[in-house]
Amino acid sequence: MAEKELTQRTAWDKVLANLRKRSLWMLHYCTGCGAVELPPTMTSRFDMERFGIMPMVTPRQADILLITGYLSVKTLKRVILIYEQMVAPKYVVGFGSCTINGGMYWNSYTTIKALDRYLPVEMYLAGCMPRPEAIISGFNSLIDKIGKGEANSWKDYYENYEFYKKNQDHVFGDIETHHDVPADGRYFGILEAKR
Amino acid sequence: MNAQTQAPTTSRPPAATGAPRMTEALVSAITAETGIATFRTKSPRRIEGTVQADALHSFAAALRSRVGFEHLSAISCVDWIAEGEFELVYHFWSYRDSHLVSARVRIPREPGSMATITDLWLPASFFERDIHEFYGVVFQGNTDLERYILSDWKGPPPMRKDFSSRDFAHEHFTFKDYEPTWDELIDGGYHGQKRQGEGSDE
Repeated sequence: MAEKELTQRTAWDKVLANLRKRSLWMLHYCTGCGAVELPPTMTSRFDMERFGIMPMVTPRQADILLITGYLSVKTLKRVILIYEQMVAPKYVVGFGSCTINGGMYWNSYTTIKALDRYLPVEMYLAGCMPRPEAIISGFNSLIDKIGKGEANSWKDYYENYEFYKKNQDHVFGDIETHHDVPADGRYFGILEAKR
Repeated sequence: MNAQTQAPTTSRPPAATGAPRMTEALVSAITAETGIATFRTKSPRRIEGTVQADALHSFAAALRSRVGFEHLSAISCVDWIAEGEFELVYHFWSYRDSHLVSARVRIPREPGSMATITDLWLPASFFERDIHEFYGVVFQGNTDLERYILSDWKGPPPMRKDFSSRDFAHEHFTFKDYEPTWDELIDGGYHGQKRQGEGSDE
């Protein structure tokens, strides 16, 4: 593979990104209280589907993984299993203060503090909890990022898998996800490109 | 398999059926049938008393079969760290009388050890697992004391009073540095003023 093809965005990439940003399917993992702001965002009052964002029930067909609130260590394990099932490109959106720095659970012994140590977070929506206007504003900036081809944090999971695995092992002991992450990275041409 | 080894029994004891009894009648029935005289009326429809740790199993069996309290509502635990004791509180409910009996049991904190009552109520295993995982109390005779809610937990039992949740969180998790700048947009902001104050000292 030529170096130029990998570093520069080809015309086809730009077309693809413009198509992709208009149809985002979202898996909302409603662990925390922030999930109550999603029904008004989805339904007719704020109508998220104006922007092409639609709730999706399965991880395998979803583009966005929305983590709406605190994650206990036990829940994080399930989230990692879900994340690794999703097909790239995939975007993790941390929703609310709890995913950023623990939020009001900052001194809890069983909730994780910073989500981006365990999964590559594309964007954070700050607030406790963010209102539908903030959610839509955040998703608009995500759409812009995808259209410009800048939303590439999912590649970081393959490139820096040792970092994420180390942090995951630190809270779980030893996690077995039954998913070959480096093989995925080679499939998407990310790990090949590094060599 | 005869009736004695077939435990826990699913048939209702004869004392659990019949007309509802008054609280005073229940207190005297508990004293007469179980031989433990510490039970008193605490509030309407609540009876409370203390039981010695080694007497609890026979007390619970008699309360179930002869007084008619057939439902184990909950087992809870209190850590009295200054006295070096755990207090286990067993809550029994009578459908016949709509009364709750709370039996308080004190056991030494080290080693926290108590006889199981899963042979009387199989669902007691749920509460005993819970207390074992959060307080470290070992229930002798319970064969299923595996992790239940804290499945990946490696630290000490977290509901003990000598466990500091804050210290554990700061040792175990990594926090982000947080230097907000958004509040400077609103009349200088708290953090903005602090930064300016630091600058003027120099």
